[in-house]
Amino acid sequence: MTVTDRRTPVRGGVGTSAPRPDGVAKVAGRFAFSSDLFADGMVWGHVLRSPYPSARIRRIDVGPALAIAGVHAVVTASDVPGVNAYGLEHTDQPVFAEDVVRFTGEAVAAIAADHPETARRAAAAVVVEYEPLEPLVDAEAAITAAPIHPDGNVFAHLLISHGDPAATGDVVVEGTYEVGMQDQAFMGPESGLAIPADDGGVDLHMSTQWLHVDRDQVASALALPPGLVRMTLAGVGGAFGAREDVSLQVHICLLALHTGRPVKMVFSREESFLGHVHRHPCRMAYRHHATRDGRLVKVEARMVFDGGAYASTSGPVLTNACCFAAGPYAVPNAVVEGWAVRTNNPPCGAMRGFGAVQACFAHESQMDKLAAALGMDPVELRLRNAMQTGDRLITGQLISGTAPVAELIRTCSAAPLPPQDPAPDPMARPGGSGRSADPDRVRRGVGFAVSIKNLMYSAGFDDFSTARVRLADGAATVTCAAAEVGQGFVTLAQQIVREVLQVEDVVISAADTSSIASAGSTSASRQTWMSGGAVEGAARAVLRRREAGETGEIEETYEHHHKPTTPLGADGQGDAHVSYVFAAHRAVVDVDLDLGLVRVVEIATSQDVGRVMNPVQVTGQIEGGIAQGVGLAVMEEIVMDGGLVRNASFTDYLIPTALDMPEVTVAALIEQPEPGAPFGAKGVGEPPTISSSAAVAAAVRDATGLDLPRIPIRPQDIALAGS
Amino acid sequence: MKAFEYERPVGVTEAVALARRAGSRFLGGGTNLVDLMKLGVETPDLLVDLTGLDLAEVLEQPDGALRIGATVRNSDLSANDAVRARYPVLSQALVAGASGQLRNMATVGGNMLQRTRCPYFQDVTKACNKRVPGSGCPARAGEHRNLAILGASEACIATSPSDFAVALAALDAGVTALTTEGEVSLTVSDFFRLPGDEPQRDTNLPPGALVTALTVPRLDWATRSAYRKVRDRASYAFALVSVAAAVDLDGDRVRDVRLALGGVAHAPWRATRAEEALRGGPATEEAFSAALRGELEAAEPLPHNGFKVDLAHNVAVRTLTELTGVPA
Ligand SMILES: Cc1cc2nc3c(=O)[nH]c(=O)nc-3n(C[C@H](O)[C@H](O)[C@H](O)COP(=O)(O)OP(=O)(O)OC[C@H]3O[C@@H](n4cnc5c(N)ncnc54)[C@H](O)[C@@H]3O)c2cc1C
Repeated sequence: MTVTDRRTPVRGGVGTSAPRPDGVAKVAGRFAFSSDLFADGMVWGHVLRSPYPSARIRRIDVGPALAIAGVHAVVTASDVPGVNAYGLEHTDQPVFAEDVVRFTGEAVAAIAADHPETARRAAAAVVVEYEPLEPLVDAEAAITAAPIHPDGNVFAHLLISHGDPAATGDVVVEGTYEVGMQDQAFMGPESGLAIPADDGGVDLHMSTQWLHVDRDQVASALALPPGLVRMTLAGVGGAFGAREDVSLQVHICLLALHTGRPVKMVFSREESFLGHVHRHPCRMAYRHHATRDGRLVKVEARMVFDGGAYASTSGPVLTNACCFAAGPYAVPNAVVEGWAVRTNNPPCGAMRGFGAVQACFAHESQMDKLAAALGMDPVELRLRNAMQTGDRLITGQLISGTAPVAELIRTCSAAPLPPQDPAPDPMARPGGSGRSADPDRVRRGVGFAVSIKNLMYSAGFDDFSTARVRLADGAATVTCAAAEVGQGFVTLAQQIVREVLQVEDVVISAADTSSIASAGSTSASRQTWMSGGAVEGAARAVLRRREAGETGEIEETYEHHHKPTTPLGADGQGDAHVSYVFAAHRAVVDVDLDLGLVRVVEIATSQDVGRVMNPVQVTGQIEGGIAQGVGLAVMEEIVMDGGLVRNASFTDYLIPTALDMPEVTVAALIEQPEPGAPFGAKGVGEPPTISSSAAVAAAVRDATGLDLPRIPIRPQDIALAGS
Repeated sequence: MKAFEYERPVGVTEAVALARRAGSRFLGGGTNLVDLMKLGVETPDLLVDLTGLDLAEVLEQPDGALRIGATVRNSDLSANDAVRARYPVLSQALVAGASGQLRNMATVGGNMLQRTRCPYFQDVTKACNKRVPGSGCPARAGEHRNLAILGASEACIATSPSDFAVALAALDAGVTALTTEGEVSLTVSDFFRLPGDEPQRDTNLPPGALVTALTVPRLDWATRSAYRKVRDRASYAFALVSVAAAVDLDGDRVRDVRLALGGVAHAPWRATRAEEALRGGPATEEAFSAALRGELEAAEPLPHNGFKVDLAHNVAVRTLTELTGVPA
């Protein structure tokens, strides 16, 4: 299907492919990212990190570093004036390690110096005496192992018991699945600039996903009232969840206050790998029960998520994985147990798909296994069980909004298959420019997967967004602290205001913490709904005043809330979610059986979008999300070895190149307006990632006949015969 | 990064004289050396930049050999008409390496002398016998998915990462180097070495020697040659395994053959045993397979790199099959 623009009287309104206000500057290289910031008198910060996954700190001597010419300050835990800890859900991660380090890369000290190289050399001169300890790196063992943190090793333990736990089906299939640790791999490394202010506070310019929550964590560590920490969003070079947690925010603010100078810090790629959370690696054991005619009777699952050294969002990630453990299917009975545990591996937290990605790989692998056991077409099996409005999740929650799962499955599976080129260009074969595949050794496979995920935060964490719209001289100005991380919220904000006020000239002012209240995080596919709703609310309030005859300048601020959610009860039942979004993916792959190489030829997708707000941006999210999904399926993994990261660079951590990227065919965008959502639109950012990995895995299984219970699938998983 | 001095000599004599200074390193395109300096793996006191030297030419010699100056850029060599026409394997190996931007910077001398990608070698907080002799080798018990299956030692299981060198090994190329004592010539096979108990030495080049040229002997049947590379993504990644092959056919028999494997050892692995087995024999897939199995009998895979044995076999058999036109 092609997406057609809907014309509205004013150009660039809702439904059009309005251009991004920052687009030209970005492609022309004129856009200032956070790493481009500069201030007079600025010095450079650098963080000294632990080389050990687990060690006691015997002694720290910063003297030799301070003695280096050009070094302005060296700070450690003892210099943190407030609480020496931060964290999104639990403040369990030290700003600087005190007596122990719990992961490779944990911050131990920070330096400010006249040049980044001086700062790095000073870091190397700090004497830290470590007593290395045996790291705890096995997630299953962590459940019962001696605690490696005063808060214990279990971040979350969840039990969902739905329907009759003793129910059984005629046909039972089992499987154990694993997902490797994926990195968000954004292009722009963590970077920021902190400027000390005359009032004792600090101005922090930073690329982040959620200004206000960063500010609160910085203020608490610095023992400052939140009002004295003023954060402004600096140009963000991608986020995907990795900027939701604090990275260098506290460190540079502390250094700025210590030196009385602006302090800038930019992570190297290696530091970026060590300095932000990743997608949880996990192990999931499943058992599906069904009737002989292919109706799901019960889903049993046990999931263990490795959360690494600190909590971050491990709890909510696990909640999502468990809630969506059965996928977008009506399942009358379910028993799901989930663990998210602390280990000495790198902390894991938010990444596009947030728990649903892992669960989707497992439940979709199970659906294929079940189809095989039943002798049924896998698409037919999915259709037979497709969730619809009025069904219940395994948490007992009623699906009251739109749930066009059957339409997604039908449209996506009906897309014409790509033709098989009899003599494909060598570059277009598995192995690409390695010229390694012979066409006659290549086998084609097709795989299908469907996903469900929630929009917005959940389980009682009910946040809001705030926006202000000012209309003056025929132009509107929007103020909102929503972080533009590349997803295009700034475009949507303009489109919404144009649509409501019928003015074409809409300016988006800088996002900061001083001029407006929180917009919540740019995550959980929530900003179109939450900040879109706030912008719409403010614009409508302005409109009402204009329609009442006011002329002059009109300004309105609006706080948008979604309907409340509640935490899950002891049996894992409850109304934990606001709304759901669904997607279907069909992958076509060519596999070289002898060399274990996979080329993803095409991904066809149908997505539940509620309403297409901006056709080009929807397509952009779909293509980008699929790139990350394909990456997880066939190459992306942070390689761990005894708590050490072995591939902290883009030379060694591989993400898809243009040559690895498949054709993307949008089979259908299903527009069924979601009740309660501004313009009926659902977030579109996460679904493209969620089921694309599972679809690729299914396609590789189809081509090879192998089990492939783990992603990423790599050559050795396919080409092992005979060794 | 440690502070260093920088010199850009215009003559080779001056360059080798500068290289006598303690802590000096030659700088080609810097695409490997500078990365390693950032990681603290290399800590030179002096960088002797070679790009001002008159070593950037590719010259056809009277005997039909090709003499390649050490500072010729990888991109330039891969696009060289003589190379493309006479030694396809060489051109293909070059373009299979790194990315366009890197190849524009990288020199062929630097490519030969790039250091291993072993993760422990690149991490200065960890033991590594290659970096710090005697400190130990955690790779054996640790992450070694992409390390050596052939010719490794107790002390070191690193692999040589260069694609280009694998093709040079197959072509019996020579290396010419200069020291203050004079010129040295080595075959590529003698240039690279297995780690033994001196893994700190990647090559048999004398200390301070400047590689001035690589010489690829005339080999008319190298027009029937190819390079194939297996890696984790379609482009821009180091090899898991690779193969450089050239075949001289006499009807349906192998008159002569050159075969070298990459990604499997501390040096490009010239598959002499397989060559021996194939020479004079039938050009059939069974024969190729048997020859490779014979060659790979020497493999000593570790728990996580055993797959490379099959990959090496499969990709080599495929390449020979393609080159000889044997129906699959
Ligand atoms: C992301 C990435 C991916 C890559 N992928 C591949 C790949 O797939 N395949 C592949 O083969 N390579 C790959 N490379 C490596 C790349 O090919 C090498 O870095 C490059 O060829 C080195 O050449 P250079 O001139 O930049 O060497 P430099 O970095 O300048 O030097 C490397 C070493 O050689 C020494 N040296 C240089 N010239 C001479 C000389 N004339 N005489 C004596 N010593 C000398 C230097 O002292 C130094 O020790 C990759 C590199 C990167 C960064």
